[in-house]
Amino acid sequence: MEAVPAIRVVDLHKRFGALEVLRGVSFDVHRGSVVSIIGASGSGKSTLLRCINHLETPSGGEVYIEGEPMGSRREPDGSTRPRPLAEINRMRRELGMVFQQFNLWPHMTALGNVIEAPMRVRGLSRREAAALGAECLARVHLSEKAKEYPARLSGGQQQRVAIARALAMRPKAMLFDEPTSSLDPELTVEVLAVMRELAADGTTMIVVTHEMGFARDASNRVVFLHNGQIEEEGPAEQVLGNPRSERCRQFLSKHLQ
Amino acid sequence: MSEALVAALNPSMFWEYRAVLLQGLAFNGYVFAAAAALALSVGLAAALARVNRARPFRWIGTVYVETFRNAPDYIMVVWVHFVLPLLLGAVLGRRIEFPPFVSAVIALGFVYSGYFAETFRAGIQSIPTGQIEAGRACGMSDRLILWRIVLPQVVRRMLPEAINQFVSLFKATTIVSLIAVPDLMYRVSMVLQQEMKPLPLYTGAALTYFVVIYLVSSLVRVVSERWRSKVY
Repeated sequence: MEAVPAIRVVDLHKRFGALEVLRGVSFDVHRGSVVSIIGASGSGKSTLLRCINHLETPSGGEVYIEGEPMGSRREPDGSTRPRPLAEINRMRRELGMVFQQFNLWPHMTALGNVIEAPMRVRGLSRREAAALGAECLARVHLSEKAKEYPARLSGGQQQRVAIARALAMRPKAMLFDEPTSSLDPELTVEVLAVMRELAADGTTMIVVTHEMGFARDASNRVVFLHNGQIEEEGPAEQVLGNPRSERCRQFLSKHLQ
Repeated sequence: MSEALVAALNPSMFWEYRAVLLQGLAFNGYVFAAAAALALSVGLAAALARVNRARPFRWIGTVYVETFRNAPDYIMVVWVHFVLPLLLGAVLGRRIEFPPFVSAVIALGFVYSGYFAETFRAGIQSIPTGQIEAGRACGMSDRLILWRIVLPQVVRRMLPEAINQFVSLFKATTIVSLIAVPDLMYRVSMVLQQEMKPLPLYTGAALTYFVVIYLVSSLVRVVSERWRSKVY
């Protein structure tokens, strides 16, 4: 018997007016595995990630977090109905999210950013939260910056604080939305190093990325998205090393140079 | 000519009545504090209506803001004091009268809530969406995001403009003497009826307002800049 996947995406659709950005995407992410999502800009990668944690409400399909549907709930009589917003908020904390633009809260210190949601959402005391925050900042190697405000941190440091902030909710999986795309190359390295450590520790991760090196060495599976559909999916070495689809081959020939 | 000038600049008359006049100044302070509290809370509510997802709320917020932002404070003070009680009395079927202090606070509070609403709205809209999404992604509710992420930054960002509005509001408190709130200007006119020396009294009142407003607003600016510079 196969274990329940950490995340199961089933026939996900997303339309913005007449534009259909996602056209039926399905895949599983098993516990402790890393899935990289690659594809040209406009292929729907970021929208897919944002639909998974319902920052965008999917137009159709469902996302299951350890078997629990994200957007709807099963009633005792067997029918399903959409979850109210408050419940979706509660479900969302099971998924940590890291954004391209970091999105730290500038009026709080690094530690303040990390402990805010654990205190206000999970109800930890300040002391418990501070201990948790220190642990999370240590995981991203920023213990000495706990008291700094984001404006005084480099882009790479800000993104690592954002990773610590997501980890502090002890999520079942982490979602990364092009986490290094707004960073200089030398800052990209430090963020990718932290992400590799998380992957090695068995963190379940979905990573939307243009970093083919990271996709190859750090992920178990790679999903190639084209026009809102999965064009190719498989083990990293196969999709990146020996792609079957012509489109994927063309995409990689542009990005692997 | 030069005699009149000397008299105008001679502060002894003002000094003689200092106790009475400073009590009047305290009334300016009370009206200011109460009207500012009213303006800030109603202004925040109107701003939240104007950025609401639901169109009817936005519409009501816009009508509210435009109504009060375009109402002259002098007319509002008179209208609230003399007309509003009649209207309310007709609706409730009994005689209603507002004490002058209450009329002054309501009128100035509502006029300035229109200005504060716009300042709040601009501040709220200047917070990058990404920060709000980051809150959502952490499982925070909209209310929590508003109080913990949006408003603390809005307050910092709107401070310089808000200080200017507080100064205008304080200056506007001088017109409440029209409906017999015993503020500084009101007491100056009372003293005038006995002394018949308007020049030194008006000059003294003007200087007093200038010194108070200048000192307090400068101090608040310095403190607020120090606080803001920690983050931005």
